[in-house]
Parts: sequence; structure tokens; C-alpha cells
Amino acid sequence: MALFPSLSIGADALIAQQRALDVTGNNIANVNTPGYSRQTAVLSAIQPATGNIGGGVLATSVQQAIDPFLEARRLSVASDLAGANTQSGILDQVQSLFPVQGTNIASAMQDFFASASALANSPQDIPTRTDLLSKAGAVATQFNQTSSDIATLQRQTDGQIQQAAKDANTQLATIAKLNAAISAAQVSGTSPNDLLDQRRVALGTLAGILNIQVVQHDNGMVDVTSSSGQALVLGTQASTLATSLDPSNIGLDGNALSQIGVLTAGGSLVKLSGNVGGSVGALLNLRDTSLPATSGQLDQLANTFRDAVNTVQTDPAGEDLNGAVGTPFFSGTGAAGLTLALTDPRTIAAARSSNLGDNTGALALAQVANTTFPALGGATLNDYFGTLQGQVGSAASAADSEATVQQNLSSNLEAQRDSVSGVNLEEEFTNLVQFQRGYQAAADLISVSNQMLDDLLSLVS
Amino acid sequence: MITRVTQATIFRQLQSNITDLQRQILDAQNEVSSQKKLNQPSDDPAGAALVNNLNGETSQLNAYQSGVTFGTAVLGSEDGALSQATNIMTRAKEIATEQANGTTSAANRQSASEEVAQLEQEMLSLGNTTIAGRYVFGGLASGSAPFASLTDPGFNASTAYSGPSQPFSIQIATNQTIRLTTPGDQVFGSSIVALDNLRQTLAAGNDPTANIDQLNTAAQDISNELSSVGARANTLSDRGSQITSRLTDVQQQSSSVEDADMAQSISLLVQLENALQATLASGQTLNTSILDLVQL
Repeated sequence: MALFPSLSIGADALIAQQRALDVTGNNIANVNTPGYSRQTAVLSAIQPATGNIGGGVLATSVQQAIDPFLEARRLSVASDLAGANTQSGILDQVQSLFPVQGTNIASAMQDFFASASALANSPQDIPTRTDLLSKAGAVATQFNQTSSDIATLQRQTDGQIQQAAKDANTQLATIAKLNAAISAAQVSGTSPNDLLDQRRVALGTLAGILNIQVVQHDNGMVDVTSSSGQALVLGTQASTLATSLDPSNIGLDGNALSQIGVLTAGGSLVKLSGNVGGSVGALLNLRDTSLPATSGQLDQLANTFRDAVNTVQTDPAGEDLNGAVGTPFFSGTGAAGLTLALTDPRTIAAARSSNLGDNTGALALAQVANTTFPALGGATLNDYFGTLQGQVGSAASAADSEATVQQNLSSNLEAQRDSVSGVNLEEEFTNLVQFQRGYQAAADLISVSNQMLDDLLSLVS
Repeated sequence: MITRVTQATIFRQLQSNITDLQRQILDAQNEVSSQKKLNQPSDDPAGAALVNNLNGETSQLNAYQSGVTFGTAVLGSEDGALSQATNIMTRAKEIATEQANGTTSAANRQSASEEVAQLEQEMLSLGNTTIAGRYVFGGLASGSAPFASLTDPGFNASTAYSGPSQPFSIQIATNQTIRLTTPGDQVFGSSIVALDNLRQTLAAGNDPTANIDQLNTAAQDISNELSSVGARANTLSDRGSQITSRLTDVQQQSSSVEDADMAQSISLLVQLENALQATLASGQTLNTSILDLVQL
């Protein structure tokens, strides 16, 4: 037992309060640091070596305020939020190709059939025929333009997938490096709190790119796998995500699209499988399902329009102004290929006989607007477009609602995380006062002990 | 329930509230400035499809409307020509009746035949009535005249018509067409033959009694066509009013889906702007800190 325990108790208390003050200061300093988790100095009483009087205080460790369950939820919501935002952003661009106001495919077709009606009033009139040709050209242009815009969107999503692989690799490498540093710190007995925070941020960013599962090990390292169990990080080993052109997946523009996967040691690519999730999952879904489906419906509409108009125009009884049977109005396949084939207004077969002024061909052409087609599910051309427009609108609206829901969930989780791990300045300031008082008291204790020692020594002398 | 609130939570919440309000203000401003509540399909997917269908109907109704206008003009021109043709037939019957008197001289009849020739030529010209260069009794074709002229070499009354043999119809509703023309030979053929016969009878100085019946029968063809034209003009006029009223309906229906209620939109905008101001002002209260109260 020390000669004068109060003196050493006072000294230990000074150090302990100082440590607690430092931790509080660090919390205040990091109030705005993203991903920072509040730390607390753990103070514990020193057991007396002998007797009943305690041995003072010791700052044993610095702990983080963390709710592991909440952190796991945040990762899964980060994936869902990024996926919903990506989905909503691209579907919003798709619906802008189907405008409600102004010119679209339907309005171009309406103008074409209105012009055919005008031709039925004046079948021999060259300006009316020229107008019909220009309206026909506008229909083809609308189809071509919309189709090419969808193909461009698909190519952009492909580019975003390639970029996402690169972004993911940065995070994978960071996590592997932090794993090594955390493990080393734990072995040497220090608390790697700030490294843990950094790793949580990296995991959050990675979860936004794709759905991940995280397994915690006792040595402080985490293993990261994709949702289907493909290893992304094992301890200090980070896998590499890569993209390569997949010749079996041809895009709307006729060129191959990318496949994304994990590079094996041998350099081959193991495709990401299952529910990829995150922004990559949403991009894959849009690129391979939503966009081709919309494009397919446009092709169906374009082909039906082309065939119906051509059937009327090339009717064997039909006759153009040169007395010949009509040749097809449109050529090409699909919305991208639809092309106006007629150039001479005289070659429109508005008649169904040699009679001058016969308009029955033009009447039949105008009636195509009212025809229902089994290939369009029993709808007219105009109604089919309206349905397609409605579908695209609902998809965009649903994606927008989903993004809002995920955003709210995410905000809520962030608030909960703040509640557990965030720094509250008022609290820290209160702690500051508390530890300052503790420090003052410890200093007073030393001063009192010193005074007592002085008194004792003066007795002796 | 969140029990421990931090500055970061408050600021994040404040920021998200402001962003949210600003986004709503943008939407509301769009609505006010475009005066449309339907600016993109996702605003109201079912409404967008409905508006598209209504646009299709409007475009078609407008096309039918121009058909009705065109048809009314054509039938009006036919009506005028047929009224004149009726007058011609009346005059021809008068001449025939005058000349059928047994005491009339051959010379007198020959001079009457010249007036009949003029009537016949007028009738042929009426058969060649045009509207914008198109023959209304020739299937609305442009080009050569459907009826020959009396002065043409080798003129034959029974083959005077060389125009199209089919009527001209237009669409005025999805499932309704209306005939605008009757081939000229079916309207004027009998009259021209009757007039031609009368002219030849009188020119030969003969008694035209036998021609009167023929004239009567022929005049019947013209008056039949006149009433048919009148009936068709009525149909067109009825259809025209139907189209106009349907267009108004469609317009209203479309407007109820896509047009913004301005009073509502503007009051929403004002409300949102107030909310934003209040939210921004609430940020000011965050300046209070324990530091103001505790002296370290």
C-alpha cells in the first residue's frame, strides 16, 4: 500500500477525467463527420489491493455507441433506396418519350388519318396527297425517334452498370484494407473505432451499388458476399467486379450489352446471379426487362400500323393517279425501321376503280383509324398507344412512390442511428462540465493531500 | 419512437423538409404556369390514356366536320342546279303544250325548236356544274366534262354522259357514310333525251303531243333527285350539329382531366410557400445552445 493513497488516487483521477474530456472533445470535433459514432470513455473503479478502501478510478477503454441490428437494416435499406431512385429516374425519362401535351406517336397517326379523310374529300387533289405523304413521314419519324431514344436509354443504363462495377471495386478494396488494419489494431489492444466507422461507411456505399450480406468475425474482420452468396470480400482479400460484352444479350441498338460479374483467379467472369439489388439490380432490370418490353410494344404498334396501311394501299382493286395498283406506303420493320416508301403523291391509291374522282381507297385508309386489331389485343392504333402511355405513366408513378417510401424509411433509420450513435452537442457540453468538475475535484484532492503531507512533515521537523 | 435527438437529426430533417417543400412548389408552379394538372403520364396514368383517346376522337370529329362542310357545299351546288333544271323542264312543257295545238304552223314549230335547243344546251351545262373545278354530277371528278355539248359533232342525246358511273360518298361517322353525288346520266339522262326528242319533233314541224308525257316522266327524275339532295343536306346538317355538340363534350371531358383548377392550384402554391417560410424560420430557433446558459 502506498504511503499516501489519496495522492495516487488523485493522480489517477486526473488522468481518467482527462481521458474522458479528450473523448468528449473528439465527439464534439466529429459532430459533422459522416458515419462517426459517438464514443464514451469507460471509467471503472480500481479494486482495493487490501482493506476496504478503493483504489481510485481508471479509464479502461473507449467504446462506440452502436446498434448492430440497426446497422444491418441500414445496409439493406441503402440497397433498396438506391435501387428505387435509379428505377424512378430512368422510368421518368421513359415517360417523357410519351408526352401528354404536344406531339407524340399517337398525334402523328391522328394527323395522318385526318389527312386521309381530307384526301377522301378531294382524291385527285395533289396538295392534299402531298400533305398525306408528309403526315406519313411524320409518323415514321415519331416512331423512329421514340424507338431510338429508348435504345439510347438502354445503352446509358449499360454504361452505368460498367461504372457501378468500378465504383464497387473501390469500396471492396477499401473494406479489405480496413479489415487488415482493424484486425491488427485489435491484436495490439487498441480500439480501432474510427476504422470501424470508415468501414461502415464503405459498406453503406457498397450496399447502394448492390445487395450485400455481411458476416462479422471475432478477429474484427467482416466477410462480404452478394445476395446469392458470391464472395466479394473475404478477410483481407477483395474480389474484383468486372464487365464484359455478352454476345447472347443484344441491345435495342443491335450491339451487345455488358454482363457484370466477379473475376475469378483464372480471369474468367462469374456473372452476378439472383436478386442483385441496389442500383445495379435496378439497372439490370430496366435494361433487360422494362425497356425491351416498352420497345417491343412500340414495334408491335409500328408493324400493325404499317401492315394495315399497306393492305389498303396495295389492294388489287386499287388504283393511283397513274392508273396503277398501289405499292406499299411504308417499308421497314419495327418502330426503328418504319420508313415512308412512297415519294410521288400521285402514287397514293385513293381510288378502287378507273373512275376519275373515285375516293373509296382513301375512305378505306381513313377507316384504318377505327379498325381494331387482334395483334393489339383488340384495340385501335390510337387506343393501344394510350394504353402504352398509361402503362409507362403508372410504372413511373409507382417507382416514384417506391422511392419516396424508401427515402422515408432511410430518413427514419438515419434518425434512429443518430439517436444511438449521433453526437448531441448539449449532451457533450454537459459531459464537458461534468468531467471538468471531476478534474478540478481531483486537482483539489491532490492539493489537500499535499497540504496534509506538509502538515505531517512540519510535525516531524 | 426516437428518444435521443441530435443536431444532425434536426438539420437532416430540416433539410429534407425544405427539399420536399421545394419539390412540391416546383410541381405547383408548373401547374399554375402550364394551367395543366396533367403534364406527364405519371401525373394520372389512366387520365393520360383517356386524354389520348379523346384526342383521337377530336381529330376524327374534326375530319368528319370538314367532310360535313364540304358535303354541304356540294349538295348546295347540286340543289341550285336541280332547281334550274326544274325550271327548264317547266318551260319545255309549256312550249310543248303551246305547240301541241293542231292549228300551229310548221314554221312556228321550227322557231320554237330553237328555244328548245337552247334549253337542251342549258340542261347539258347544268349537268356540267362544277364546284372548285370538280363536276358535281360527274362523281366530283376533275378533268373532262361529263356531259357532251349539243354542238359536238355526232352529238347523241342518249350517250351524252361519259362521266363516272359510281356515286361519290364520304364518311361522316365511324359507321356512317353519306352519298354526295348521283351519276349525271341518272339525273339528267331522261330529261336530255326528252328535250332532244322535243327539239327534233318541232324542227320537223310535227305535233309534240306525244312528247309531253316523256317530259313529265323526265321532270320526275329531276324532282326526285332534288328531294333526295334536300334529305341528304338535312342529314349532313343534323350530323354537323351532333359533331359540334360532341366536340364540346369531348373538350369538357378532356379539360376535366388535364386542366388545372386555377383557384385550387394558386391557393396550394401560396400554402406551400407559407410552409416553406415557416420551415426556414424554424431553422433560426436552432441557434439556442446550452453554451448560452452554462459558463464553462
